[in-house]
Amino acid sequence: MVNLTGRKEFDESLQKIEQDLLKLGSLAEDAISNSIWALQKQDDTLTLKVIEGDDILDELTQQINEQALMLIARFQPVALDLRTISSILHMATDLERIGDLGSGVAKVARRISHEPLIKPLIDIPRMGERIREMIDASLKAFMNRDCALAREVCAMDDEVDDLDRQIFRELLMLMMQNPRNIEQAMHLILISRNLERAGDHVTNLCEHIVYMTTGAFVKAGDFRRPQRGKEG
Amino acid sequence: MEKDKFSVRDLDLFYGSNHALKKINLQIPERAVTALIGPSGCGKSSFLRCLNRMNDFIPGCSVKGNVELDGSDIYDPGTDLIHLRRRVGMVFQRPNPFPMSIFDNVAYGPRLHGVRDRSSLRDIVEESLRVSALWTEVRDILHSPALALSGGQQQRLCIARAVAVQPEVLLMDEPTSALDPMATARIEELVRELRTRYTVVIVTHNMQQAARISDITDFFLSGEMIESGPTQQMFTSPKDKRTEDYITGRFG
Repeated sequence: MVNLTGRKEFDESLQKIEQDLLKLGSLAEDAISNSIWALQKQDDTLTLKVIEGDDILDELTQQINEQALMLIARFQPVALDLRTISSILHMATDLERIGDLGSGVAKVARRISHEPLIKPLIDIPRMGERIREMIDASLKAFMNRDCALAREVCAMDDEVDDLDRQIFRELLMLMMQNPRNIEQAMHLILISRNLERAGDHVTNLCEHIVYMTTGAFVKAGDFRRPQRGKEG
Repeated sequence: MEKDKFSVRDLDLFYGSNHALKKINLQIPERAVTALIGPSGCGKSSFLRCLNRMNDFIPGCSVKGNVELDGSDIYDPGTDLIHLRRRVGMVFQRPNPFPMSIFDNVAYGPRLHGVRDRSSLRDIVEESLRVSALWTEVRDILHSPALALSGGQQQRLCIARAVAVQPEVLLMDEPTSALDPMATARIEELVRELRTRYTVVIVTHNMQQAARISDITDFFLSGEMIESGPTQQMFTSPKDKRTEDYITGRFG
């Protein structure tokens, strides 16, 4: 049995990992916001900062994984403790991937930073803003063990998917109008797709939060509007 | 897990005026390992002893309610206790071999139940020692004193002795708490194997042990059965807050 000292040490270590996860979350959030900002401002310094910053996310993820495994090995956690650690491991992976996607956006932004934009960017920044809000809310849901909020975040991904489709349609029109738009339009579609996938990772975060809190495995799709066929 | 071996209904147990078990309702499935967990004094060992009426030996102990073994109440006045304890064997916390040879320890029960034929006895002893995973270690020293064996071997000998009378159920009261980690691992492995033949009910203070070896876990607290469920579920998503707090080490 874990004696009182053991429990205290476990709680303290777990708290530290949770803090690291929140830090990872805010880094992932920054990667998305900054890459979009850099895209809008065609700012090469900022894109470079996002790309280089990805290493920090990777290291932090690695650190969280190591600490979590150490806790499992030393304390053999069960029940809520076990679910929390397992969820943290999964969530760290998802956040790290969101960071990768942000860095992916920055890489594409670099490629088009020296040419005039074919259209004013409205929906892509809006998507970025939604993702940022979703990450923010899911971290809150994690801290407060708030399942209801986690479910709401899943529903927010519908809007991200809508924006992705809208961006695709709009850019398709521009490509049809003028083949010289094709290259940049393709890049912008790639960015939109990266953001759409980041949204999916945020819904994964929410699935883990619900599992952690209740012990029930859920699918984010259960909290979203019904899918319309297999498009997009 | 096909059916219930034991079915316990509204079981109350008193030690004098002390109400040690309160309205216990519990099913114990056949050919599975059921672990009873809970803090000291929660009633799990008392409950275990109810299953073969070992509490009868304790002065001032009285029992109310039903404990059915294969559908018949073992607290019926007509119950043959010798027969009951043959069907429901017990292994205790500290290995307690008799001060006689290894062979005689295992043959003790069968002899008591009237087996006289030497070759049958030899077969029973060998089979029991094989079941308890001790045979290869003691086959050449069967006539040496049992007390010369190590603690872990002695405990496996006690399991062999319990198994020798061909019981249907094995009750184990913290069988590894006096053993080192290696001997504990051997016994745990053995318990996993025993479940294919016997219904095993084990009291343990070691929750990781319950998690490792049992199919069903029942959590007791202050004389009440708080929660019973598949071990996997109990250790990942217990339903009761008290179970959660106990197994995560928040009290106890």
